[in-house]
Amino acid sequence: MTLPAFRLERPARLADAVRILVAHGPEAMIIAGGTDVVPNLQMKLFSPRVVVDLKPLRELAGIEFTPASGLRIGAMTTLTAIMQSSLVRSKFPVLASAVGTIAGPLQRNMGTLGGNLCLETRCRWYNQSQFWRNALGGCLKLEGDVCHVAPAGKFCWAAWSGDAAPALLALDAEIEITGPAGARRMPLGDFYTNDGMSRIALARGEMVTAIHVPPRMAGRRGVYHKLRIRNSIDYPLAGVAVTMDADAQGVCREARVAVSAVNPAPLLVKEAGELLTGRRPSAELMEEIAHAAISTGKPLTTSASTPVYRREMLKLFTRRALEELWQNGRA
Amino acid sequence: MAAKYTLIGKPMPMTDAKSKVTGQGLYTDDISVPGMLVGRILHSPHAHALIRRIDTARAAALPGVKAVVTGLDAPKPYGILPVGHDEQVLQSGKARYIGDNIAAVAATSAEIAEHALSLIEVDYEVLPAFFDPRESMKAAAGWIHDTKPNNIEKEYHHHFGNVDEGFAQAQFVREESYYAGEVTHAAMEPHSTLAIWEPDQRMTVYSSTQVPYYLHRTLSDVCEMPMSQIRVIKPLIGGGFGGKSEIIPLEVAAAVLAKKAKRPVKITYTREEVFYAHRGRPITYVDLKVGLTREGKITAVAARVVQDGGAYCGYGPVTVLYSGALLGAIYDIPNVKYDGFRVLTNKPACGAMRGHGTVNVRFAFEAMLDALAHDAGIDPVDVRRRNLLNAPCITVNGLRVTSYGLPECIERATEHAGWNDKKGKLPRGRGIGMACSHYVSGAANPIVRSNIPHTTVNIKVDRDASITVFTGAAEIGQGSDTMHVQLTAEVLGVRPDRVHLVVADTDLTPIDLGSYSSRVTFMAGNACIAAAKNMREQILAGVAKKLGCEASELDLREEQLFVKGESAARMNFDQAIAAALEFQGGLVARGTYQPPETARGGKFKGAGVGPSPSYSYSAQVAEVSVDVETGRVTVESIVAAHDCGRALNPLTVEGQIEGSVYMGLGQALQEEMIWENGRLMNPTLLEYRIPSTLETPEIESIIIESIDPEGPFGAKEAGEGSLAATIPAIANAIYDAVGVRINSLPITPEKVLAALQEKQKRERAAATNMSGNGGGGAR
Repeated sequence: MTLPAFRLERPARLADAVRILVAHGPEAMIIAGGTDVVPNLQMKLFSPRVVVDLKPLRELAGIEFTPASGLRIGAMTTLTAIMQSSLVRSKFPVLASAVGTIAGPLQRNMGTLGGNLCLETRCRWYNQSQFWRNALGGCLKLEGDVCHVAPAGKFCWAAWSGDAAPALLALDAEIEITGPAGARRMPLGDFYTNDGMSRIALARGEMVTAIHVPPRMAGRRGVYHKLRIRNSIDYPLAGVAVTMDADAQGVCREARVAVSAVNPAPLLVKEAGELLTGRRPSAELMEEIAHAAISTGKPLTTSASTPVYRREMLKLFTRRALEELWQNGRA
Repeated sequence: MAAKYTLIGKPMPMTDAKSKVTGQGLYTDDISVPGMLVGRILHSPHAHALIRRIDTARAAALPGVKAVVTGLDAPKPYGILPVGHDEQVLQSGKARYIGDNIAAVAATSAEIAEHALSLIEVDYEVLPAFFDPRESMKAAAGWIHDTKPNNIEKEYHHHFGNVDEGFAQAQFVREESYYAGEVTHAAMEPHSTLAIWEPDQRMTVYSSTQVPYYLHRTLSDVCEMPMSQIRVIKPLIGGGFGGKSEIIPLEVAAAVLAKKAKRPVKITYTREEVFYAHRGRPITYVDLKVGLTREGKITAVAARVVQDGGAYCGYGPVTVLYSGALLGAIYDIPNVKYDGFRVLTNKPACGAMRGHGTVNVRFAFEAMLDALAHDAGIDPVDVRRRNLLNAPCITVNGLRVTSYGLPECIERATEHAGWNDKKGKLPRGRGIGMACSHYVSGAANPIVRSNIPHTTVNIKVDRDASITVFTGAAEIGQGSDTMHVQLTAEVLGVRPDRVHLVVADTDLTPIDLGSYSSRVTFMAGNACIAAAKNMREQILAGVAKKLGCEASELDLREEQLFVKGESAARMNFDQAIAAALEFQGGLVARGTYQPPETARGGKFKGAGVGPSPSYSYSAQVAEVSVDVETGRVTVESIVAAHDCGRALNPLTVEGQIEGSVYMGLGQALQEEMIWENGRLMNPTLLEYRIPSTLETPEIESIIIESIDPEGPFGAKEAGEGSLAATIPAIANAIYDAVGVRINSLPITPEKVLAALQEKQKRERAAATNMSGNGGGGAR
C-alpha cells in the first residue's frame, strides 16, 4: 500500500512545529513514532497535506522526577524507555505495567508516550483499507453516513484503544499541551472527548508535549489488566487500571479505577473512588466496584470480542486488580 | 545406523539459511529489472454481481499507465484440477466474492497504478449471494457457477464394510457435530510475481510458487504461448503452507500485463490481497458417529462433512476427498461411511493448507475418541493402543500402509509427557490430553493423470569435480535444497560443499510436480538417490577402466577412492573424476521416481485421493491450564512424537514438527477468518491472530524412525502430519482440566467460559432436582 502524497516537515524547534501546525490547521498531521499513523496513512484514513515529524525535537523526550513537583514525562519519550525506567517501575508501577503491554517490543521501541495518548480511535468497520471501506460504502466516521456498530444512531462509537492513558488516569495525571499561546496543563480526563469522531481536545496549532503525575502518587501501588487474545502485539479489547493507597489495617485512603478500549475515551470510574474510600475489602464491595466499572465502560461491537464477554472481563479484571492491591498492601 | 552413513541422520543447517538471515537472499519482490512496471489489480466490491460493462479508457489515458487488461485479454479459464477450470484471471462475466479480480493495470509507479484503478468504471448488477454452505447447497437457482447445480462443487459417498452392523456391535456410540472456522496460511512472504517480456518474444516469470511446473503449464494455456516460450523461475520463498500450491491470480495477471505492455511487470500482493487469494482451510461442519466396544475397539465410523469452499473449485474436490480417505490408514477401522460435500459460496476460494483435508476431521475424530474412551472407562492412550493397524496392510478404503511407527509414537510421547503420573491427577484448571494424526508422503496419483514419473533429477559432474544437481523440486523453506545436497553427497561419498544446485527453473531443470502433499523428500529424494547412484556407477566404471579392474571392486567414500579390501586409498575424488572423464566423457546422470502400482489405491470414484507410497504418524500430548474465570487456555507444553521413517536431517525434521505444532496451536485457540455477509472482517496480521512467541509453549519433538521400505534411506514426510494432532490434543487437555468439551474451533476464551457457565448451570439444576424430588429426576 502506498502512502498518500504529503509534504514532510521536520521542525528543529518546538516553536517551528507549532508555527507549522498553526499554518496548516486540520490539514497538518503530527507523526511521532509512527506506529499508528503510518498504517493509518497507508489505509488512507487520512489525507494530510503536511506531516510534521517531531523526532528532531529531542527536548520533548525525557523522564524527570522531584518529590516536590512529581513526575514529568516528555511526549517523545519512547514506550520502551518508560517501561525500562527504574524510576517509573519503582514509583509508578501502574504506568510501567500498562506501558509494558502496549503492542510488541518493536512498536514500543518506536512508539512514544505522546503518540500513545493521541491514538486514533479504533473500530473494525473503520481500520480497514480504502478498498475494504469502499466496498462497504464507508461508515459514519469516514466516507459514509451509517454507523455499523449502532446503525440507528448518529454517534461514532469507535473505541479509544490505548493502554497508557487508563494508567495515567488512575495516577490523576495532567497533560501538558503547547500551542501558539505557550504551554497549558489540564486533567488528562478532560483531554478526551468521548466522541469517536474527534477523540481529543486540541485547538489549532496545539500539540501534546508532556504528562505530569502529582507528587502524592509517587510510590502508589497500582496495576493494569488488559484483555487481549495474544500476549503481545494486540490492542486492548478491554483494559482496567487501578491504583490504591490503603493503611496498615487495609482501610482504603484513596483509590482510582480507569477503564479503556470499551468507550470512545479512556474513562475514570468516578463512583469507584467514592465507594472505596474509607472501606475495607469485602465481596460485596468488590461487586459494587465491578458494577461501577461496567456502568462506565460500555463495550459495543467495535472489536473482535463480543460486548458481553468484554463486560464480564471488565468486572473480573476490576475485582482481580483490587484484590491484588489489597493483598499486596497487607503483605 | 550412525556408522553406516556419513551424512544421513546428522543435523545439517539449511543451505539457504545464511542468505536468509543476512538479508542477502532474493525473494521475488527483491528482484528488479530495468524498465520494470508496477502492476495492480482491481477487485470486486460485491460478493456476487454481474459485470455489465468495464470502461478502462480513463485509466489507460492516465500518463504513466502502460497497459490495462480485463478478462477479455485472457479469457481462457483455468484451475489447478482438470475438473475445475472455472477461474478467469480477470472476470468478464461475473464477480463471485468481495476481492474477486476484475481488471489490472501496469504503470511506471505504484501511485500511478493505484490511481489508474480508481479510474476504471465497472457497472455491476448485484445478485443475491450465498455465504453459509448449509444454505448455499439448498439453493434452487441463482447459482454461483451455472454448471454447478445447488452450488455443490462435488459430493462423494463412500461406504466400506457395513457401518450399521458395526454400530450394532458397539456398546458405546456417540453422535456429535463439530465445527472448524476458516484459517489461512499467513506465510510471511506475500505472493509476488515478476513477469519479464523478453526481446525475443519469450517471457521469463519469477514467482513465489510451490508449483513452478503447473504455473508454466497454466501460463502457456492462458497466455496462449507455447511452453517453450515461457521460462518460470522460483526464487527464495518465504513460506508456502499450501497457499502457493495452485495458480494464484497475480501470477497470470502479471504475465498478461507484461505481454500487453511488452515490458517487465511486477505485482506484489498487499496482505489484504493475500487473504483474498487465500486457498486456505475451509469452514468445515463435521457430523460424526463412532462406535466403540466395551473392550475399546472401534467398530464403525460414519462422517458427514460439509466444506465451505468459497467461489471457485481450486483443490476443493481433493480437500473433501482427503477428509474422507484419511479416516483410514491410522487405526484399524473395519466399517467406514463417508459423505462429503464441497459447497460453493461467495467468498474467496479455499484450497490446500498444511495437513490438507485431514485436520478438521481429525480434530473431530480424536476429540470423540477421547469422549468415547471416557464413556467406556478406558484410558485415552489405551483406547488408541487397542485400535492399531497390523502393518504392513491395506485398509478397507484401499490405502497401503508400509511402515507404521504410531505405536512407538504413542509410547514415547506419553512417556516423555509423564502421562501416567499426570492423567487424572492434576489439580482442577490443569489438564493433559493426547491425540494422534498421520499424513501422506506425497500423493500416489498426479493431479493431471499420466504415466510420466512424478519427478526427475539430473546430476552433472564437471572437470573440477564439482557436482551440480538439477532439480525441479521447489524449496519453499521446508529443506528441499538441503535434502538434495545431503543425499547426493552421501551416495557419492563426498563433502556436501562440492554439491551445487540448480533449482526450479523450467528452462534448466527437469519436471517435478511441486511442493505439495509432502511429496518432495519421498519422491524427489528417491529420484535424487537414483541419479546419484547412476553417477556413482559411471564414475566407478571409468575409474575401473583406468585401473584395469572391475567397477564392483571399487568403493567411493569420504572423498577417496578405494579398492575394496585395501586400507589405503588409490586416489582422491578429484583424481577419480579426472579418470572417469577420460573414459566416459561428460558425466551426466538422471534419476526418476514414480509411485508403485500397488500404492495407487482402489478403483472407485474418488479413490485417487488418499493413496500415498507411505504415511507418516504422530502422537502428541498437550498440557494446558485454564483460567476458569476468563476461559483463557494456556498451553504449557506439547510433546510431539513423529514417525518420519528416517530423519535424514534431524535439524529440519524438528523444525517441521515445531512449525506444525505451532500452526495447530494457532488454529486450536485463536486463528479464524471472521466473516460478515461475505466481508472478511480481519484481513490483516493484526486482527488475524497467528500466535506470538509468548503463546507458543515448550515443544518437545521426538523423532521416531520406522525406516520405510520404499522411502529414500527409509524417510517419509515430516512437514505436515504433526499439525492435525495438536488441535485435538489441546481440546482433550481442556476437558481434562475443567470438564468441558468444546466442539468448535477456535477454542476461544468466550467459548470456554460459556461452556463452563453452562456446565455449572446444569450441575446446579441436577443438584436441585436431586434434592427437590427425591432423586427421581436423575436419569
